[in-house]
Amino acid sequence: MKNRLEELRKARGLRQEELAEELAVSRQTIGSLENGRYNPSILLAFKLSRYFGVPIEEIFIYEEEPS
Amino acid sequence: MKGKKALYIAFIVVGLCFAAASLILGETIPNSVGGTLMGSGSGMAAIGLTQLLMLHLDTKDPAQARKKEIEETDERNVAIRRRAKALSGDALQWAVIVAAWVSLGIDAPLWVTLAAIGTFVMKSALEVYLVVRYQREM
Repeated sequence: MKNRLEELRKARGLRQEELAEELAVSRQTIGSLENGRYNPSILLAFKLSRYFGVPIEEIFIYEEEPS
Repeated sequence: MKGKKALYIAFIVVGLCFAAASLILGETIPNSVGGTLMGSGSGMAAIGLTQLLMLHLDTKDPAQARKKEIEETDERNVAIRRRAKALSGDALQWAVIVAAWVSLGIDAPLWVTLAAIGTFVMKSALEVYLVVRYQREM
C-alpha cells in the first residue's frame, strides 16, 4: 500500500525520530511505513490521521490488485 | 513499578533461600535435589538482581526508560517478535519429530522417542486450543 507519510512529515519539517516520538512508536516503524514495507494497524493509522489532520485515505492509498 | 520491585526482591530472597537450603542440607538430601535447589536458586537470584538493577537504571534515566518502553510496545516490533516466535516454534516442532525418527534409528531408549512424540502432540494440541480461543475472542 502506498502512502504520503514521508511527504506529510517533511512538509511539517519533522525528522523520523520526532514523528516517532510524537506517536510513541519506534523510528524504524516510521521508516518502514514510509517505504511501504509495513502496513500500520488501524489504531496507528488513526493516530497518524489525527496527528496530520487529514483523513486516513489521504495518507494511505489503497489500490486494488488487478484480478 | 512498586509491584515489580517487590516481585524482583522476592525472586532474590527465594533464590537465596533455595541456594542456602542446598548448602545447609548438604549430604542429607540427594545430589539431584541439592543441584536443582542450587541451580534454580542462583538463577532466580540472578534474574531478580539484574531486573532490579534495570529498574533502578530506568528510574535514573526516564528518557531512556520511555525509549525502551516504546521499543517494547511498538506495534511493528511486537508483530516481528510474534512472527519470529511462531516460526521458531514451528521449526522446533518439526525438529522434535526429526529427533524422534533419529532416536528410532539409533536405537535410543523408548522414552526418548515417546517424549519427542509427546512434545509434538502437546504442541499441536496447544496450537489447536489457541486457534479456537482466538477465533472466539476476535
